[in-house]
Amino acid sequence: MFSVTRDELLSLHTHTHSDTHTHTHSLLLMLCVTQEERSFSEEEEEKLQSALSLEKHTLHLLVETLSFILEQAVYHNIRAASLRQQLENISVESEKAEVFSQVWASAAPDVLEKIRLGIFAPKKLDLVGWQLNLQMSSSARSRLKEPHAVLNLGLRTEDDAERLQDVFVEFSHQDLLDFYNQMERIQTQLDSLS
Amino acid sequence: MADAVSVFGGRAPAEVQQLAKHLRNLDRDTLSQMLSAVLRAVDGLDCRESLRLISESGLVSEDSFNHAVAGLYALLKEALCLPSLRQEVFNEDLRALRVSEEFIADVSSAVFGSRQTSINISDTHRGPTLAKIQDFKWRVDVAISTSSLSRALQPSILMQMKLSDGHLHRFEVPVVKFQELRYNVSLILKEMNDIEKRSILRIQD
Repeated sequence: MFSVTRDELLSLHTHTHSDTHTHTHSLLLMLCVTQEERSFSEEEEEKLQSALSLEKHTLHLLVETLSFILEQAVYHNIRAASLRQQLENISVESEKAEVFSQVWASAAPDVLEKIRLGIFAPKKLDLVGWQLNLQMSSSARSRLKEPHAVLNLGLRTEDDAERLQDVFVEFSHQDLLDFYNQMERIQTQLDSLS
Repeated sequence: MADAVSVFGGRAPAEVQQLAKHLRNLDRDTLSQMLSAVLRAVDGLDCRESLRLISESGLVSEDSFNHAVAGLYALLKEALCLPSLRQEVFNEDLRALRVSEEFIADVSSAVFGSRQTSINISDTHRGPTLAKIQDFKWRVDVAISTSSLSRALQPSILMQMKLSDGHLHRFEVPVVKFQELRYNVSLILKEMNDIEKRSILRIQD
């Protein structure tokens, strides 16, 4: 599973051999797992550097290696025990492997769920709002009693996380019935999948 | 006397003033047929077929027919537009126009009858509206594997809506949001049914 180069792993060893660092490493791992794109911000990196007394490029190497191991674990969706076994196979010390295994066991379900639900599409439906109106008259007729609904679909684009694009759609009773039938068909499809 | 017709505010238009004269020669059947055809016309629906049938039946002279239809159309269109017109007032107006009594009952019921269901109004007469869905397409996908997960197996829904104002919206719907959308749509439908079955607002007609 791991095609990590020996150099990377050797550096990992040299800098993590001391016992006092075990606790910090589990902390590091937790942070790696829970962060997303860029693991640590600039300030956090500086703090880590001083806390672990490592140089900048060593810290980068460490973080990258940890991220890589975790990404592989996510990709293959392995169990905690399996992860420990694999790590020991590439000669990581057993207590370090144990740290990996524990962190993975606790954080895995959430991380997997979050990644699984992350779909990418140009626009995503984020908000559903609606309003039910009763039309009483228009310029051509009075004494009407016609209900109609306005649906507000808030669409969020991938790159613009702040603003929602609003789409307003109006439905008469019959239109809404047709739309509802379509929803039911989609639901039947979803049910047949599981 | 024709000046006192309140439906028109001031003087009634010429075709309405002459309406009584042309209605005199009609029998009640023809009148009710004409009334239903004119009502459809006022709502913007197609009534050419029914009018053609009446004129070809030969029961009424062409001249009379044309004037009667024009007068009825102007009268009914104006009466249906006024929100606070009461039936008694309208009947008085018809008397002022010298329409015969039995016809007054027919014309009056055409305006005030059980026509509350306005489903039949053509789209041009409904007034301005927001965009409606012209075309709705969807598909259900299952993501088998992604760059982050080798076994994802996550369903997702892609929807494409073409609206009547020309915009095309294509967007993805997460399953959770889809459930929310479905729930809201059925909630609105339930509310609409409630409104139509009983008057939630006490609207004075």
